[in-house]
Amino acid sequence: MIDSLSVYENLALGNQYTGRFWLSESRERRHAKDVFTKYGIDIDAGASLGALGAASRTMTAIVRALHHGDAVNGILVLDEPTASLSEVEKDHLFAMLRDVKAQGGTMLYVTHRLHEVFELADRVTVLRDGRSVATRDVVDLNHDSLVELILGRPVDAFYPEPSVPGKDAVLEIAGLQGGAVKDFSCTVMANEIVGIVGLDGSGAGDIPHLIFGATKRDAGDIKLDGKSCNPSSPWDAIRKGFAFVPGDRKRLGGVADWTLRENLTLPKIIGRGPLRWLSERWEGKQVASFLSDLEVKPNDTEAGFSSLSGGNQQKVMIARWLRCQARAYLLDEPTAGVDVGAKSAIYNALTQLAADGAAVLMTTSDLEEACAVCDRVYVVHEGRITGELRGARLTVDNLLGEMLRPNTSSRENLTHA
Amino acid sequence: MLDTTRSSKTRERTSEAPGFGARLAHVQLGRYSGIFILIAIIAIFAAWMPQSFLTEATFRTILQGQAITAILAIMLLFPLATGGFDLSAAQIMGFCALVCGALITREPRLDPGTAILLVMVLGALIGAVNGLLVTLFKLGSFIATLGTTSLLVGAAALVGNGEYLGPFPDSFRGLTAGNVFGIPVLTIYLLLIALVFWYILEHTPWGRRVYATGANPDASRLAGIRTDRFIFWSFVISGTGASVAGVLLASNLNSVNQSLGPQYLLPAFAAAFLGMTQLKPGRFNIWGTVLAIYLLGTGVQGLRLAGADLWVTDVFNGLALIIAVAITVFMQQRRRRREVKAKAAEAEGTNATSQAKDATSPATADVTAAEPAKS
Repeated sequence: MIDSLSVYENLALGNQYTGRFWLSESRERRHAKDVFTKYGIDIDAGASLGALGAASRTMTAIVRALHHGDAVNGILVLDEPTASLSEVEKDHLFAMLRDVKAQGGTMLYVTHRLHEVFELADRVTVLRDGRSVATRDVVDLNHDSLVELILGRPVDAFYPEPSVPGKDAVLEIAGLQGGAVKDFSCTVMANEIVGIVGLDGSGAGDIPHLIFGATKRDAGDIKLDGKSCNPSSPWDAIRKGFAFVPGDRKRLGGVADWTLRENLTLPKIIGRGPLRWLSERWEGKQVASFLSDLEVKPNDTEAGFSSLSGGNQQKVMIARWLRCQARAYLLDEPTAGVDVGAKSAIYNALTQLAADGAAVLMTTSDLEEACAVCDRVYVVHEGRITGELRGARLTVDNLLGEMLRPNTSSRENLTHA
Repeated sequence: MLDTTRSSKTRERTSEAPGFGARLAHVQLGRYSGIFILIAIIAIFAAWMPQSFLTEATFRTILQGQAITAILAIMLLFPLATGGFDLSAAQIMGFCALVCGALITREPRLDPGTAILLVMVLGALIGAVNGLLVTLFKLGSFIATLGTTSLLVGAAALVGNGEYLGPFPDSFRGLTAGNVFGIPVLTIYLLLIALVFWYILEHTPWGRRVYATGANPDASRLAGIRTDRFIFWSFVISGTGASVAGVLLASNLNSVNQSLGPQYLLPAFAAAFLGMTQLKPGRFNIWGTVLAIYLLGTGVQGLRLAGADLWVTDVFNGLALIIAVAITVFMQQRRRRREVKAKAAEAEGTNATSQAKDATSPATADVTAAEPAKS
């Protein structure tokens, strides 16, 4: 997919133009519109792809493959197609895929999200450490037995016990505004993990960026430990006690070509002595314990960041902030593209942080995770809080209900064809 | 079908891992190849023309003749490390050499100390303009420094007026004349500058942040690095450093004119990129650059002594630049392959976590329709 081209140009890439000689823009655009209508998707074919949200981009890629590829006679390979999709969009995609299946198509679907396996697949092959360990019919499996196959050991408590929220407010946000966020206020107590969920485009993903000062705030007051601090830039935010794990690990997280050691010390590089001398060995000693605490594999400070699996990369990203000992941890989709084993380690780390008295604020699109890990979850729609769930009311169904309740355009866009 | 082919591929990789490739990875021949090539070049010319090449004078010429280019190349490393290009550095050097000459020889004939100080301030200011153009006005560094180069060419013509300025007083010439322990004093300057900047760039938190800015600006910003400041200061450093090189150049030549400068640009960049393949592969580094300068300088000097025409110098530098970048690309690919192998070897050794492909951004969620494989 090419960001600088328009949607219809992307759709036609790969020798699927409507005419042979004269490339007519309007004809291409009309054709693309027809295709989208056929699949029941509302995407502006003339828009530049880079301007679209993550979900629309993924949908465009999927439509291109479905429409132009010989999906029925060939094999359709999907690698984590729902990574950036919301529940509604995912349901829509699944309906499309079931359609292909009904027509006799074959699909290979790669995913981390186990419930998708049960929703969609007939057979599942589990890979562990680069080897296939089992191929089973899905009907013979349940969630726990699948996790057991993946982990290679019985499932003990996958989600850690939540800590008891404290009495003191650590992070207070009032009237946050900027980007897609219109008005967001919340308070995170000590020892508390608070979740933010919302559909693509709801602004949920912008909130940590705005708090951290990575994106410009239009309005809003941010207090940390009762003191107004309003970070003006990430640099400022870190000095004031914030930590932020961005969602796009490859682009915004780590430096791919660097070692784990260099990636880990990046927010807080400490030189030795009056000359601030930076030696690899001394630096390695500082970070080694963080790698082993989070069970990063390989447990080697000199390993290249890009050589790690997604889950281990994310562990390094979190270890980086554990080292900085922040008061408030902001996380954007901390377990997106992360394998089950690493997820468990990340949940443990977050719970431990909360238990130590920090405030944790995370966005997630995995509702099951939101219910299990968070003490409280805010539902954000079109940049505003539309619901807050906690305790017994915090269930996947309730969350989904809250997310879909406001009857607005983004829902209409994706009603099934 | 597919899972079996996948796992058999993994097995192939693991069986290769302890083999030739892995051993090569451990030895990392590439890192020090420049030293071997330098020795080879010296050996070839020494065997070819022992009388003219293997003399103290030749080595002194090489050491002294390349020192200013090397200083310039070191200064280029700062913008390069932040992901920018300072194409104006060579012209800043030439312009500063000219201004320095003018300040000393024209009325009111400033004393060399004052002149040098003024010229360094001038270099820093030009660097700051570059830095502001890149950070504040968001011009690409390529375009911004190309623009300032052109401005400086004009300014040089204005100041130079077609004249040759010189000779300079002995106190100024003495700056670069003579030897210390048999080593040309210019080379001593180079070594001191290299030592200081090696410490700053490669062994301080500040230098690490400079590298981070170039390696992934967005991620660095989110990790609390004020990338714009580092980019700005890297241009100030390259501007000031280029002015120092200009002072040394004026003192060394004992006569300056408006055409000085551009001829140093290509060799300095060639050395910076060639240096990136040496000692710390994949990263612009000081000693790799110094090594590269002397590799190129020795080759050129040898060819000159062998009676080659002047154009051979440029051809040699051009070839070296192309080959250096080709080597860099090749080594990056090799490292990536090596990492895949290392991953496979790692997977072989452990059984605790599941290995799965990750997809975080929509760009990586790739969806393809393929024909069924023939099997």
